[in-house]
Amino acid sequence: MKTIYVFLIFIAVVIIQLLVPAKMIYNKEDVLNSGTVYKFKTQPIDPNDPFRGKYVTLRYELSSAKSIDSTIQRNDKVIIYLEKDSLGYAKVKSLSKTKHNTSRDFIEVEVEYYDYHSTEVRFNLPFDRYYMEESKAKPAEDIYRKFNRRNDSINETYALVAIKNGDAVLKDVFINDKSIHYYIEKEAEK
Amino acid sequence: MKSKLKNDLAELIDHNVISSEVANRINNYYETKRSNQSNPLFTIFGILGSALVGLGIILILAHNWDDFSRTIKTVFAFLPLIIGQLLSSYSILKNKSQAWKESSGTFLFFAIGASIALVSQVYNIPGDLSSYLLTWIVLGLPLIYVLNSKAVAIFVIGFSTYYACEYGYSFGYGNKSPWLYFVLLIGTIPFYFNELKKSPKANSTAILNWLYALSLIIVLGAFIQNNWALGFVMYAMLFGVFYNLGQLEIFNSQQLRRNSYVVLGSFGSVVLLMILSFNVIWEEIQYEIIVFNSQEMWVSIVLIFIALALLVYSQIPKGKFKFNVFQYVFIIFLIVFALGSESAKLGTISTNIMILIFGVFAVKLGADTFRFSILNYGLLIIATAIVCRFFDTDMSFVLRGLLFVVVGLGFFLANYIMLKKQKAIKHQTLN
Repeated sequence: MKTIYVFLIFIAVVIIQLLVPAKMIYNKEDVLNSGTVYKFKTQPIDPNDPFRGKYVTLRYELSSAKSIDSTIQRNDKVIIYLEKDSLGYAKVKSLSKTKHNTSRDFIEVEVEYYDYHSTEVRFNLPFDRYYMEESKAKPAEDIYRKFNRRNDSINETYALVAIKNGDAVLKDVFINDKSIHYYIEKEAEK
Repeated sequence: MKSKLKNDLAELIDHNVISSEVANRINNYYETKRSNQSNPLFTIFGILGSALVGLGIILILAHNWDDFSRTIKTVFAFLPLIIGQLLSSYSILKNKSQAWKESSGTFLFFAIGASIALVSQVYNIPGDLSSYLLTWIVLGLPLIYVLNSKAVAIFVIGFSTYYACEYGYSFGYGNKSPWLYFVLLIGTIPFYFNELKKSPKANSTAILNWLYALSLIIVLGAFIQNNWALGFVMYAMLFGVFYNLGQLEIFNSQQLRRNSYVVLGSFGSVVLLMILSFNVIWEEIQYEIIVFNSQEMWVSIVLIFIALALLVYSQIPKGKFKFNVFQYVFIIFLIVFALGSESAKLGTISTNIMILIFGVFAVKLGADTFRFSILNYGLLIIATAIVCRFFDTDMSFVLRGLLFVVVGLGFFLANYIMLKKQKAIKHQTLN
């Protein structure tokens, strides 16, 4: 093949290689800038990805919703429609297998299982990774543990998530209305 | 290398073995040959260097620099990618040497990984390692063709295997089969075919031979869902495919160390049979219900057809029919498995007989062709089978000891007799 043709194909490849991360950035920026921000109560762990570094795994209190649709199975993708409670926390308005034509914010989640007795669908919210600087992931987890004990009703830990058109971006993790970064710095000052 | 040739030529001229004119022509021949290809060492170091730099960048970015703003992080996400793309376009446009193409391609491949890794960190993009790897591989795969890069092909196969393992081997619960792995692999096949046609004896092609075979062996297990017993059939059929693939002229005409398919096909079958030579395994299989309409069965059936097609095809070009029992292992295995899933005893006995036959066949093959490696491979098969039997039978120690002595003597004798025979033949041909 002539060099020029190879080069033209290469240029096409180059454009795709640039477009994919650019599109990822564009979508996420769009959600951050004009998406609705929800608070999701959380519960945490500190693993590590060989290519992308350390992160904190977040578990959310919001992990089930009522549904009478008993055909829902494990690994199905379902759509949950969201609304805010009086404190700004997200809760599930409704759950369905297909997309409705509403302007309500939604996200797609993978079903863990369907509980026939309580007619509840169990799922995990997809934004479960919060990437942190490697030196901060461990302290973040410790701080998190301190504030996020089971049945602790005084301290509130939650993730701030922007949502638009079914796409979600995890912005920050908060403990009592202050970013987790604030606590890490305070800890470092000690 | 160059000066050695010159020295040799000077010596040959001095002793009037060749004329200076011939020496000049020899010299010119090697000069032009050398100028056409880049130094392979240079290529290898180029690839290694780029791969290390690329991985280094990924690791540095994985630190997740908190002090940088989102904008700066975004710039850093694109910087390595654009540098890699510029280097690669330079090597295409200037039609640089293979070393240039391989190195720039390798760097670009890792730069893609760095770029999407940083973007997922900045935006906390969900998704586990496998989905990240998939995006990376898909974006990197075309580089194999535009840069004609063996290194990128090797990385793509390697990372596809990594992806399939991450996706398919979920420890604990949840069974997902990494079907996309095959799509990725098929994406590299045209390049592999081309390499096989163009330079079947190149070291890089031999690396690809091994990589494909190993990758498939590693990944196949991810397709086993609930019917683990059929997993044995799947692997036996895969080894059948490999062995028969290795019998094709293009692989069979090569040295054994390049023919990964024959080596792994044969060795894999033997290991599988060794595992199944234990009665306990068959007892477990016997309790299992063999589900015919299952993914494991369908995978096995596809593999059976590929193996059969290869078996038939490998027999066509050779004028006279040459029987090689190893080519039929997968068919015999099916019968043994059918017997064993009904009655564990039958399964155990027939597996052991099968091992014995293969061992003897390999010994005979080795003796006929004067290849010590095959002869000893056969003896090793028999010896291993006997050692295995020590674990599950109540033989007296004296009997076990005697058996060991007999097998040990067998090794000596078989090798000694063959050595003698070889010498005798050499002697004859010399006289």
